[in-house]
Amino acid sequence: MLRVIAALAVGAVLAVGASVAVVNVAAPTPEPPNQPLYNYGGR
Amino acid sequence: MDGAGGRAVDASADGGRGAVLRAGGVRRRVARWGPAAVGALLGVLALWPALGPGFVLRYDMVFVPDPPLVFPASGFPRAVPSDQVVAALAAVLPAELVQKGVLLGIFVLGAAGAGALVPRDRVLARLATAAFYAWNAYLAQRLLLGQWALLLGLAGLPWAVRAARGRWWHLALALLPAAVGGFQAMLVTAPAVLAVSGWRRPRGLALLAVFSLPWAVPALLAGATTDPRGVDAFAARADGPFGTLGSLLSLGGIWNAAADVPGQGSWLLAAARLVLAAVAVAAYVALRRGWGGAGAPGGERPAYWAGLLVAASAGLAVACAGAFAPGAVRALIGLWPGFGPLRDGQAYLAPLVLLEALGFGAAVAGITMPVRPAALAARGAALLVPVLVLPTFAFGAFGRLTAVEYPGEWRRVQAIVNADPAPGALLTLPWGAYRAFRWNPGGGVVLDPATKLFARRVIRDDSLPVRLGDGRVLRLAAEDPRARRVGRLLGAPGGRTAALRAEGIRYVLILRPYENVFLYRLPEARIIFGGREVLLLRL
Repeated sequence: MLRVIAALAVGAVLAVGASVAVVNVAAPTPEPPNQPLYNYGGR
Repeated sequence: MDGAGGRAVDASADGGRGAVLRAGGVRRRVARWGPAAVGALLGVLALWPALGPGFVLRYDMVFVPDPPLVFPASGFPRAVPSDQVVAALAAVLPAELVQKGVLLGIFVLGAAGAGALVPRDRVLARLATAAFYAWNAYLAQRLLLGQWALLLGLAGLPWAVRAARGRWWHLALALLPAAVGGFQAMLVTAPAVLAVSGWRRPRGLALLAVFSLPWAVPALLAGATTDPRGVDAFAARADGPFGTLGSLLSLGGIWNAAADVPGQGSWLLAAARLVLAAVAVAAYVALRRGWGGAGAPGGERPAYWAGLLVAASAGLAVACAGAFAPGAVRALIGLWPGFGPLRDGQAYLAPLVLLEALGFGAAVAGITMPVRPAALAARGAALLVPVLVLPTFAFGAFGRLTAVEYPGEWRRVQAIVNADPAPGALLTLPWGAYRAFRWNPGGGVVLDPATKLFARRVIRDDSLPVRLGDGRVLRLAAEDPRARRVGRLLGAPGGRTAALRAEGIRYVLILRPYENVFLYRLPEARIIFGGREVLLLRL
């Protein structure tokens, strides 16, 4: 029984985490400039 | 009554046997085709906006309509033979369909191959392995960096591992995707093939060498150089709260922040991915006692187990070297430019992706519950875990992989230049390798499409500016000697028409916002085409 509860808890946490991430990301992004970029990227 | 009863019992037994046989048949079919179906399903989910009309243009992923069959004359042959294969396929199919086929094929081929490494009687483990292999941070980040050719290597890797100890022509077939992908795809495949096949089977090395010839020969003849400072730019780095090592173990850690899956750095999801990675690695280590099913009788260790472990460890070590011992990698590249591919060390995590996928499959197979239906339900639900820990890879990473149509003027310029039989190169300006177009809102930065559109040599700036974490911009030197010469010409003051003609340039393509910067320096050039976005000049 304990394993079932643990599995349900893990599933719930993952589902909530995934939902939060999706909601956060599903926002409009700014339009890119119509110009060459001299910065390829970085971190 | 007895007779009737006897007939009734017989019929029931036949029906029961039939049901069992039917169930067995379904099980076999799911075991055989399920991994590919999982790959297809996840591929459609990840690529959904990319599957519409048009081309997906993002970073290094540039597909163009009617690509010409050309071979690079100088510079490092990064897109050999992938571009030539695409051009050949595009001769019989629309190029946009070729791109969609390639992208979806990566998911299907990879998932089917990973699943095929699991014994057939472990159906859910097969599906779980396939799901993990088709949905992970490595695949997502490399796709968002447009490195589809490298991902062909990832897709073929499980097949190559499977065939490494088999017949030579099985291995040859399994290496085809990597061979098409080119240098990076082969380099991430080679360690696993060599480690699994072992030194006593030299045919693995021989086949790898033969399939590398299309890019290795031009690379050796090109006179291309590698800037050792690239190690600082392309080293693996943290993409979440658990540092570089945590990111690498979670199969992320790519150098470019723009290649992150949106939202992947959140604590909860990053922690979930790290825990998942730890569970998968532990389960893989436990696989040394075998899958415990009919496919591995007597708990026999899978043939690939040790080799894949060695290759994954080596890949992780290469990825860590750039991050934690960059001086050593710089020294190697300084010694011989052929070590240049080591600078993007995170790419070599490909065998670790496969190892973790198999470990995840083993972990799912090992889930036990007090009652059988609960165990089946838990194993079935566990198939979703790879998606739940990286949910925003869905729908083209929420719009970052979206198909767009090229404006008509690009096609017109392409038609004009490709109809001209006169020799001479095309110079694309402004002098920078990457572009961002308003008509490509999801893709953002993309390699200049002019590099793929024309059936003649295209000269572009192949130096690479990269912003580092401390705000400095590191400009890596150009690799192509001819591009370096033209760069110096453009840097000199005054009119440049005669000098560019002398360099063998016949056409100059300029993006409109920059026409004033260059037009006055090309006084005798004739405008052949002027659109809203591009200007074509003949020298």
